Amino acid sequence: MAGKESDRTEKKNVGKTSTGTGSSPAGAKAGKTGKRAGRPAGKTTGKEPGKVSDKVPEKAQEKTALPQEKKPDYRNPEYYENRELSWLLFDHRILGEARDRKNPLFERLKFLSITASNLDEFFMVRVASIKDMVNAGYEKRDIAGMTPAQQLKEIGKATHELVELQYSTWGRSLYPQLEKDGFHIVLSHELLSKEEGDFVDRYFQENVYPVLTPMAVDSSRPFPLIRNKSLNIGAMVRKKSKEGELEFVTVQVPSVLSRVVELPVQGEEKKRVILLEEVIERNMPRLFLNYDIVCAHPFRIMRNADLTIEEEEAADLLKEIEKQIRKRQWGECIRLEVEQGMDKRLLKILKKELSIEEGYIFEIDGPLDLTVLMKIYGLEGFEKYKAAKYEPQPVPELPAGCDIFEKIREGDILLHHPYQSFTPVVEFIRQASVDPQVLAIKQTLYRVSGNSPIIAALAQAAENGKQVTALVELKARFDEENNIVWARMLEKAGCHVIYGLVGLKTHSKITLVVRREENGIKRYVHLGTGNYNDATAKLYTDMGLLTCSETIGEDATAVFNMLSGYSEPLFWNKLTLAPLWLKDKFLYLIGRERQYALEGRKAHIIAKMNSLSDPDVIAALYEASAAGVKIELIVRGICCLRVGIPGVSENITVRSLVGNFLEHSRIFYFENDEHPEVYCASSDWMPRNLERRVEILFPVDSPRLQEELRHILDVQLSDTLKASELKPDGTYEKVDRRGRKAVLAQDVFCREAVEKAKAAAPAKPGDRRTFIPKTHH
Amino acid sequence: MSLKTFAAISVGSFELTMKIYEFSGKNTIREIDCLSQRIDLGSETYATGKLSQEKLDELCRTLEEYRQVMKAYKVDAFRAYGTSALRETRNTLIVLDQIAQRTGIEVKILSNSEQRFLDYKSIASKGESFRRIIEEKTAIVDIGGGSIQISLFDNDALTSTQNLRLGVLRLQEMLTHLNAGRDQTEQLVDELAGAQLSVYKKLYLKDQEIRNIIVVDDYISPWAIRRAGNDPDKATVAPEDFDELMELLHTGNMKASRELGIAEEKVPLVTISAVLARRIARIMGAKKMWAPGVTLCDGMAYEYAEEIKMFRGEHDFEKDIIACAQNISKRFQGSRKRAETLERIATTIFDSTKKLHGLGKRERLYLQIAATLHDCGKYISLVDIGETSYNIIMATEIVGFSHLEREIVASVVRYNHSDFVYSGYSGGVSGGYPGRENYLVIAKLTAILRLANSLDRSHKQKLKGLKAQLTDQELILMVETQEDVTLEKGYFDLSAEFFQEVFSVVPVLKTKKNI
Repeated sequence: MAGKESDRTEKKNVGKTSTGTGSSPAGAKAGKTGKRAGRPAGKTTGKEPGKVSDKVPEKAQEKTALPQEKKPDYRNPEYYENRELSWLLFDHRILGEARDRKNPLFERLKFLSITASNLDEFFMVRVASIKDMVNAGYEKRDIAGMTPAQQLKEIGKATHELVELQYSTWGRSLYPQLEKDGFHIVLSHELLSKEEGDFVDRYFQENVYPVLTPMAVDSSRPFPLIRNKSLNIGAMVRKKSKEGELEFVTVQVPSVLSRVVELPVQGEEKKRVILLEEVIERNMPRLFLNYDIVCAHPFRIMRNADLTIEEEEAADLLKEIEKQIRKRQWGECIRLEVEQGMDKRLLKILKKELSIEEGYIFEIDGPLDLTVLMKIYGLEGFEKYKAAKYEPQPVPELPAGCDIFEKIREGDILLHHPYQSFTPVVEFIRQASVDPQVLAIKQTLYRVSGNSPIIAALAQAAENGKQVTALVELKARFDEENNIVWARMLEKAGCHVIYGLVGLKTHSKITLVVRREENGIKRYVHLGTGNYNDATAKLYTDMGLLTCSETIGEDATAVFNMLSGYSEPLFWNKLTLAPLWLKDKFLYLIGRERQYALEGRKAHIIAKMNSLSDPDVIAALYEASAAGVKIELIVRGICCLRVGIPGVSENITVRSLVGNFLEHSRIFYFENDEHPEVYCASSDWMPRNLERRVEILFPVDSPRLQEELRHILDVQLSDTLKASELKPDGTYEKVDRRGRKAVLAQDVFCREAVEKAKAAAPAKPGDRRTFIPKTHH
Repeated sequence: MSLKTFAAISVGSFELTMKIYEFSGKNTIREIDCLSQRIDLGSETYATGKLSQEKLDELCRTLEEYRQVMKAYKVDAFRAYGTSALRETRNTLIVLDQIAQRTGIEVKILSNSEQRFLDYKSIASKGESFRRIIEEKTAIVDIGGGSIQISLFDNDALTSTQNLRLGVLRLQEMLTHLNAGRDQTEQLVDELAGAQLSVYKKLYLKDQEIRNIIVVDDYISPWAIRRAGNDPDKATVAPEDFDELMELLHTGNMKASRELGIAEEKVPLVTISAVLARRIARIMGAKKMWAPGVTLCDGMAYEYAEEIKMFRGEHDFEKDIIACAQNISKRFQGSRKRAETLERIATTIFDSTKKLHGLGKRERLYLQIAATLHDCGKYISLVDIGETSYNIIMATEIVGFSHLEREIVASVVRYNHSDFVYSGYSGGVSGGYPGRENYLVIAKLTAILRLANSLDRSHKQKLKGLKAQLTDQELILMVETQEDVTLEKGYFDLSAEFFQEVFSVVPVLKTKKNI
């Protein structure tokens, strides 16, 4: 799993497979996973220089004079990468995994599918918002000095290249390989055998036809609503009587049916499938009786899906969001994908009716919507072409059936998912829900799985008379509908459901259990870097901390009070929260390392996150690097920082890991002159996290657990198989393995988790060592 | 281990706060939770004198939420106190009744002196840090929404306390009324406060220099605590540090709110508090200010824990109340020696007649204070001492006493000099008395004080070695003297009449001549 960060309901509307000859590969240079798009040079924004030094303790400031030479302008746009282009490079890196022949075939399909769903989201949200800016005449430059119009132009160019590369990967590599390995996809209904044709016609009649709604357009019927992300078949038809003009008709490929239709297998073939749109296309005449089908082609559109919610004015946030979700279907069309070779008349109508510009039309040489490949991945069989399934391991500190609270009292417990099982987290809430000593359970929920055991436990707790407070973030993008359902269900069970703070998304992951024990009230807290989602916890790498530290407990209580609308506490003991304090804290920590470096003391930063785009943080990192701090960044996705700039970022390295699991944990290590401070967080170093969300940074104080975290970082820094390094020219290259042993960090963690679990498992009778006394003769 | 959970609710002028505490047998008070909701009652009541329906609804809604939280924590007891905003509302009783009906929470209105006393207790709960600081000349400056209270300490004892109507919300309300711009705030607050503080200085400080100031407030404390690395015990600032704060406040509400870690709407109130605190520090010549961030709720918890004997504080608050009364007496030219004699005699009688009166420690304190202030009215008039003493006591703050308690003391002093005004059953609790119980307390204490007063009628402390013995019919008071005690005996007989009426016991005076 590489780059798709949500557990949204599975996509049911998928695209089309065509002849699969593929177009020529574009863009990819040997060994590089992406090409850095061009960018206007020499633009300056005239922003003020970084203010990192403001946060350094005064005494330290006095002691060490800054270098005498002129300080570089760390805000110079030349030192920054545009975030959208950097994101596209990330999708390129995932695509690199789809192209990597060393990966099992079906894993490659999965990676390709991810690049497609990523790109969908990128269009719906990022491209849409930049387009909005352009439409509004907004001309403010981004940190890399680009205007919205310039960004849009470069994005257009880069996405076309990416799509070409996706389909060349499909057509030239994956499709032929599937055929070779016995997985046959009938790309065109004309290629079906007589028996297969009869089968799909029957399938159509019995399953598909009842759910189709064919729509025609004429003077009395306006152009219909084409739903966002839906796959459709557009056709030009003419009355059989040959009278009248060509008419436009369309039918949506129903998302309630599987897009992959399995055909009866004959002989030695292992599997044959056809895509649903082909089945419909074959049966178009049955939908438009009395008409001749002149031409029929699939098409797919993408709409602006950015919600605009006036929270201040919304009387009922729940209802307002429901309203906005419905509106999402009507957003401006921002991408049109059509089958290559679509009839020009048909294309002209679509262009006109959807008001879409040329640059946003993608003529696809292959099946539309490659997310269908995830469905193919999910089909039974072909296991040898998939990576061996990894089973998350038990956590040694928390053996099955243990009293989880007792174990937490023995010491803080660090959880490393998905290498270690997420069950302890579910168990933490489940045990709390039935524990008579528990008074209250409070939890933030951002994205939860379908049929979530956590939701069930919370509901159970409320029914058992506990005070349950659940903060459900209704604005979790694309999970809004899910979350509304959860919120209502929890309310019905008697939980106190809150929706967070106006204008801020609550992205923090925190659970508080309040128990009344013999010695008084005791608080147990779980803090995490990932969502409370048992499904994604098997795919995303995340850290969790279980603790009953008094100071963290106090802070956790204050967090929920704040989220419930009460005032913040006078001060925080251990936790640092965005949007008020987190950025300052990071700037302080970076600034302190810088100061130590200037003083000749030990300074080192290692930070792992999903994205790095905050200009203040980047400027602080540049300043620290210039002062001599060694900075090692592990950034999965967007990285607006540039490496290797003389005098600015020579001491910074950036690597990105794309593996079977989605890298999602955020870990921050600060050397602090040989007194390391290690933190985990729900937040990336992005303005949206630091300024517009409720996020939590939590320290891991136990030296033993600090060591564990440092080990995790070190292993990731030594990965030579899945890591790509950012180069000064803005491209990413796989790390040079020469002279270095092969290390695959995710495999190392899997192995270690298995070993730890094994070591902690109770010995089986057969394993017992026995001493056999010698017999006397 | 025996544990108790307690909720303290403070209905303040600007915020409605609830703190949950846990008391354990280890003499510890542990704060478990703190919820605070901004409900600006002060601006409305200070301006209009009434609380609107909208504010009342908001208040009830939040109190209902608090009730749910209390339920979740399964609290053993709770108390809800209202301060100046509710106190100064004309429709207070209606508001309180509405709150009780709608939320089941009975809110008690604290008098200013009670409120300050609890604030003071909250500082004392800081233990060693508090003890250390009050060894030197120290002032507690309690900045509230409606007023500020300045209490002076010398050598571990409270010497005076004074209330000034310079609360931050009240000042903000004045500034709004004056249509003052942001840049005028500093100057206007300085002028408004300056005038009153100068008078205060002349009356109370004179030439003495105060070394330390302890600040109790909601606005400067967060700043001071942040500066001290979030350690309230070290939240000490020098007057010149306020320049740094003022500079920050000048940068605008948004930045200041971020840097101070407080809500943006609080920034103007921080400005007013900072100007006030700086001005007070300058007038007093203080070198450092300690802002430990304590709140009224902390004082409430302290008080309750003491009551249920789950906490035993080291500081003697009764000593403060007595010291405060002694200072009032001194201000009105009372005789210390005479007051001490009277107090000694009165408490001896009180202690020996416990079976008769059934009163407790608190009532004994009323008697002590009444003895201390027994003749303060003669400063105004030698003719009508009872009435003038009553008026002085009612117009003077006695820290730690509620309005009602002050009235009890003032009445005892009044009837020590003038005829007791009876309240018949048909009159219920009327007759000017605050309730049946209190009427009886006043009667009993008056009887004791009159008796004690008669034993030193000449103000010459003629009677020594007082011993009291209670029998079924008599209270025998044995004294030693070498002097002529005709006057005392005469007055004793007069006072004995009322004493007998109240207690059904005849006081008998037996004198023994010292050889």
